[in-house]
Amino acid sequence: MATRDEIEELIARVKLRDRQAFSTLYAETSAKLYGVCLRVLKNRAEADEALQDVYVRIWNKADAYSANGYSPMTWLITMARNIAIDKLRARKAPSSGIEEAANLASPGLTPEGEVIAASERQRIMDCLEELEADRAGAVRGAYLDGDSYKDLAERYGVPLNTMRTWLRRSLLSLRDCLTR
Amino acid sequence: MTAATDHNDDDVALAGEYVLGLLPADDLRGFELRLRDSSDMRRLVVEWDEYFIPLAAEIPEVAPPPAIQARVERRLFGAPRRRWPLPWQGTLAGGLIAAALIVGLMFLTPPDQPDALATHTAQIAAEDRSLLIAATLDDDTGEIRLHRTEGAARAGRSLELWLIPEGADGPISLGLLGDDEVTVLTLAPEQRAALQGAVLAVSDEPEGGSPTGAPTGEVLAVGEISPAA
Repeated sequence: MATRDEIEELIARVKLRDRQAFSTLYAETSAKLYGVCLRVLKNRAEADEALQDVYVRIWNKADAYSANGYSPMTWLITMARNIAIDKLRARKAPSSGIEEAANLASPGLTPEGEVIAASERQRIMDCLEELEADRAGAVRGAYLDGDSYKDLAERYGVPLNTMRTWLRRSLLSLRDCLTR
Repeated sequence: MTAATDHNDDDVALAGEYVLGLLPADDLRGFELRLRDSSDMRRLVVEWDEYFIPLAAEIPEVAPPPAIQARVERRLFGAPRRRWPLPWQGTLAGGLIAAALIVGLMFLTPPDQPDALATHTAQIAAEDRSLLIAATLDDDTGEIRLHRTEGAARAGRSLELWLIPEGADGPISLGLLGDDEVTVLTLAPEQRAALQGAVLAVSDEPEGGSPTGAPTGEVLAVGEISPAA
């Protein structure tokens, strides 16, 4: 995968309507962003659609990138995650793709140290460690799988409002830890 | 990353919930209004996004189906770009000349006679033979040449060609059949290696091709790929 500076440069060129740069950006980042869409949606057809929307939005919103304060991969991954979660929330019935979900949800690290530094990763991991296991699990479920309060309340067998109270408290503890 | 510490807990938690995609619809609308007007709130959101992003490192990369990039470009830029320039594009300009050449080639190369360079061929046919396409493939260059001798796309619809390798999970889009009788497409290297025992299929799709990456319309014609005689 390209380095942070290379991705930054590609986004800057996309902003100038450089189609070749857009094509290179796609080649460098689409596997990661497709992984993010699949992780949230757990359905290939929907992830295919989401990924198209992601790159259409990247092209259309590239001019807003430099002003918004994101690092390049955060901007791209956050956009992919948001589009996938929007699609997930717009679904009428929950997905029944349980087998597919099991296949896709296999944990495991991918080698991409260039973009997301190990020290940063360790920091959020350490802070999640400080939470009770259930509460850390709920935060991870919301971030990685796009779980809603309803999903989380069912999983942990608590009322929805309790879930929300827990999670908001977890967020405040996390932030305390992260800014310590 | 500099953390602002002057936010109240409620805003910090709200921004975190927003970033996680957890805000209930009512709170979401209110929050988005505040986001529009408050650079402080926007900064909180960026901070949360940056805090969480290391978690995304554990999401495995998955190569998307090859057709998606072309579909994105079609949505943004209109007509699809060819991956490789056709031989005459470098030297001769203008669609008319290209069209004349295609017609000329058709006379020189009778459709029923397999391309001398082809390594594989397929007859893609509808059951009632209302759509007939002779395909010749070259697994060295990856070129697929399709000669449509019967049938056409319906008005406002497109014909899309799919490769289904033996034992594959699903069809892989190879592209759209043009309005001309002859269409030339190019296979990706990994597809060239998967021709043995594979099947070609043509489906009826919305104009510009399937929006999902998988066939959405009726499969009109199929044909098995076999080694050229």
